[in-house]
Amino acid sequence: MKTFAELGFPGRLIAVEGLDGSGKSTQIYLLKRWLELQDFKVYFSEWNSSEIVKAATSKGKKRELLTPTTFSLIHATDFADRYERHLVPLLRAGYLVLCDRYIFTAFARDVVRGCPPEWVRGIYDFAALPDLTFFFRADLEVSLQRILDGRPQLKYFEAGMDLRLSTDMYESFRIFQGRMLEQYLAMSTEFNFLVVDANQLVEAQQVMVRELVSQRIDLARFRHAERLPGRPPRDIQKQKKERAREVEEATFE
Amino acid sequence: MKRAPRKNHIVVPFRSERRFYGHGIPRVDLEKVAGKLIVVEGADGSGRSTQIALLVQSLEGSGHATVQVGLKRSTLVSEELDRAQQGNILSRTTLSLFYATDFADQLENIILPALKAGFIVLADRYIYTLMARDMVRGMDEGWLKNLYGIALEPDAVFYLNVPPEELVQRNFAKNMSLDYWESGMDIGLSRDMFDSFMQYQRAMEQTFRHLQTTYGFTIVDGMRSADVVNAELRKKIDHVLAGK
Repeated sequence: MKTFAELGFPGRLIAVEGLDGSGKSTQIYLLKRWLELQDFKVYFSEWNSSEIVKAATSKGKKRELLTPTTFSLIHATDFADRYERHLVPLLRAGYLVLCDRYIFTAFARDVVRGCPPEWVRGIYDFAALPDLTFFFRADLEVSLQRILDGRPQLKYFEAGMDLRLSTDMYESFRIFQGRMLEQYLAMSTEFNFLVVDANQLVEAQQVMVRELVSQRIDLARFRHAERLPGRPPRDIQKQKKERAREVEEATFE
Repeated sequence: MKRAPRKNHIVVPFRSERRFYGHGIPRVDLEKVAGKLIVVEGADGSGRSTQIALLVQSLEGSGHATVQVGLKRSTLVSEELDRAQQGNILSRTTLSLFYATDFADQLENIILPALKAGFIVLADRYIYTLMARDMVRGMDEGWLKNLYGIALEPDAVFYLNVPPEELVQRNFAKNMSLDYWESGMDIGLSRDMFDSFMQYQRAMEQTFRHLQTTYGFTIVDGMRSADVVNAELRKKIDHVLAGK
């Protein structure tokens, strides 16, 4: 497997991975804002967000129709749709593409759910590797607390309830997320994860993220050709709304 | 097409060893799978549904319980898949995985439970059509084999072979039109739908012949009358039931 840079794409893909509640969505949002404010060509894509596939996934989750195999396949379908219709064309056009979760989420999650690792990896082998992958490593208790602060209840699949690990949702979440962490750590070296200590304050993490991005990617190449004259200033209200929506979606994933 | 049911002679199916093509489905105990899985493959107009209807009738007459499955019939994604196809907006990997999801849902929720309950499952197409369609669209055979390693190996697979020249006549006789996807119009073989249909169906037939070398299904001459074809299928199925 090769990265987009190795494959000769002019664009670069940056992915963030981590457990639910590790704070990765906040970090990638702040990275996106930083890049946008410098007028770079940026595109953001989120796991499980394809317009076409989403309806089926949420029906499957709501009605608990999903098995480990269909859970895996429907997420692969979602990824393929975004990959072929958005990510690849934008990377061909020289964009900085930011992904909140990438194939490693599937590698970890589906394997914890009992799918054979070679089968899962085989399915995703049409996808190139990110040029940079940040892994936000938070203590289990920290991520659990972050999830619970945001809302009163855990979600069925997020807590791994389908695996019948425990009848207690919190206990199930702990075991499930613990196993996810093991899978992530096992992949860390193989896929050159840049591990960020996610127990730190938001700002401290962002400093590290921005530093690494500017060191490893020649950002100057990604600036918009030129500003269009008379381009209206960005609507602050709209930005706030967008931010609120993104945070909500990230939490309810 | 009435046939006298055989008097009180019911064959209790022989239990054969089962396997998945690849990794299979996690946590499925194949020891418990008692029924038989019979697959009928072929293009639209090859006589698949006629044959399946005749098989249901004769198998039920012989005391076997049957269940039917087919492509794009899952609870999970069939509607969404249909909607996406109408607009023809899906790229090929996405379409392929969408169909695989549909297949997996039916495999786990209909096929395997029915087989466990001792039913004869009649599948109106199976992974071979899905693989052939994708291969004609340039997808990697190895990738597809891994993907469909989840599939259970059937007890019998029949491919009803009818040349494109005859398929076109049968499709017109039935609908007065050719189907967009069955003509492979998404590939852009030709702007002319008739030409595209012929080229696409020829490519599908070739791919089926190629897959036959791996999966060893029975190629059945679909140019004969429905009854003659059915007698051939039934004979083969009786062998399967008797464990021969």
